[in-house]
Amino acid sequence: MAEVRLENVTKAFGNLTVIPDLSLTVPDKSFTVLVGPSGCGKSTLLRLIAGLEKPTSGAIRIGGDDVTRAEPSKRGISMVFQSYALYPHMSVARNIDFGLRISNVPKEERERRLNEAARILALEDYLDRKPAELSGGQRQRVAIGRSIVRNPKVFLFDEPLSNLDAALRAQMRVELAELHQSIASTMIYVTHDQVEAMTLADQIVVMNKGRIEQIGTPMDLYDKPASVFVAGFIGSPKMNLMPGKAIGRPDIPTVGIRPEDVEVTEGDGWETKARVVETLGSDTIAHVRVEDVGEMTVRLPGHIRLNDGDRLKLRADPARQHHFDADGRRMEGQTA
Amino acid sequence: MTAPHVWRNVLRIALLLVVASFVLAPLWATVMGGFKTNPEIRTSAFALPDAWNTEFYGAILSDPSFWRYLGNSLLISSAAVVLTLIVGSAAAYVFAQIRFFGANFLFSYLLLGLMFPFATAILPLFIKVRDLGLLDTYWAVILPQTAFGLSLAILLFRTFFAQLPKELFEAAYIDGCGYVRFFIMFTLPLSTPILATVGVFVFVQSWNNFLLPLVVLNSREVFTWPLGMMQYRGEFVTQWNQTLAFVTLSLVPAVVFFLAAQKYIVAGLTGGAVKG
Repeated sequence: MAEVRLENVTKAFGNLTVIPDLSLTVPDKSFTVLVGPSGCGKSTLLRLIAGLEKPTSGAIRIGGDDVTRAEPSKRGISMVFQSYALYPHMSVARNIDFGLRISNVPKEERERRLNEAARILALEDYLDRKPAELSGGQRQRVAIGRSIVRNPKVFLFDEPLSNLDAALRAQMRVELAELHQSIASTMIYVTHDQVEAMTLADQIVVMNKGRIEQIGTPMDLYDKPASVFVAGFIGSPKMNLMPGKAIGRPDIPTVGIRPEDVEVTEGDGWETKARVVETLGSDTIAHVRVEDVGEMTVRLPGHIRLNDGDRLKLRADPARQHHFDADGRRMEGQTA
Repeated sequence: MTAPHVWRNVLRIALLLVVASFVLAPLWATVMGGFKTNPEIRTSAFALPDAWNTEFYGAILSDPSFWRYLGNSLLISSAAVVLTLIVGSAAAYVFAQIRFFGANFLFSYLLLGLMFPFATAILPLFIKVRDLGLLDTYWAVILPQTAFGLSLAILLFRTFFAQLPKELFEAAYIDGCGYVRFFIMFTLPLSTPILATVGVFVFVQSWNNFLLPLVVLNSREVFTWPLGMMQYRGEFVTQWNQTLAFVTLSLVPAVVFFLAAQKYIVAGLTGGAVKG
């Protein structure tokens, strides 16, 4: 059992409070993604769990044990850093088994675990190389290998893919998902990329200004965002947020419509003019101007050919609108 | 290559040659002087010798006291280098790694040493060394030289250590590696360029130092080579050829030490990028 619990944790650096009173439970064997804009405290939260920072108050439990004051190496965690943080003067093999050497794991056991990790990550041919002789993706795998050999109860990832190019990132995303399936451990993953969050997570924690905005499965967050912030953060392209009068409901402060919930219609609808059209093949993303409403982004099927400046009539699916009150919280029961 | 480039290069090379000649000409005269007779040195200092007299070099090489002076210098300089590197890197590591109350004050205090000329301190140094009962021992030279080398060493070390990525320590820390082990297994191996630079600097300083050994050393058994050189200066006559041969031979270890460390210094200037 390696459930991670944060109980009323606060963290302040001097006068600056980064995390004001936060409680969170990460279920055992889950892949939980902490996501939010930069400066929202997600990395700090991860570092608190890792033990690289000590909370100002509150308690942290891993697998039931109170580890609030424990050294990182005693917590049963391992961490993968954004910059990989490989040891530049050590070979790949030494990088991977360094932690085991430090904790005096017997040689046979050490080699068994090293070979196991190298096999899982396809690093067998690179064990004698130095980090400088590896490509970005290989370095990332070494960093993950270093985590695996320690048999941690909890894996922590701090934006591990953000230094990779787009193609490699997509590939590593799949590898990480496979890794989670094969070694069923709790994983906590920090990112600012909502695509990574949506594709990898069983549970997403959306953070903003040190507070948790919403916790839920990816589709929970997508279908029922609890606040305007989550609505705007999850989903790409972003949800359109507009005043209620745009849909003839002036009683609703903010209404949210996802770009994919808008369709071209012959009947009643908004008169719009396409400003910019992005043709992606499978989809066509149109940034349109709606008279009296403002800018809107719509995602239309790829077979609809549009040019910049075209006029079209659009209609939003009334069953898939999100209503938010004046404080930006979701208004329950309002969506049909 | 266009004409302005050629001229610029010619100018550059000419300038470098002039600068190099300032260093090389005295060295040349010194090496050659060891082969000449005293009158010849006075008349043509820079020319090749008329006859290659090797007896002056031979006399010095066969003189056991020369080897003793050289050994003393080597011992003292090496000890000063080792001590400066150990104490300086350890202190700099603390300044670079740990934030504690008064760190800035303490660091500035150490840096004050940079503005403190060695010669000014010679009298208090002598008194201190005498009170400690170290006069006429190797330590009388080693300890003050280490102390005076520390401020520059700490300054250079701290800057270099602070540039090592912080995540490196955090990764090792999570792996169970503490501060001391990190210092030995990471900071030092990754800092060879700066260790070599400071090492050469301290070694050459110590090797060439004349004033301190002159003041604190009295017996010939512990003399360093700059003091030993003085034996060729008589009251009335200075044996220039022997002195120059002596200097030439004494330069060799410092040059060898520099050449050995040079590889790391150059590596430090060109490499150093940690993130790929």
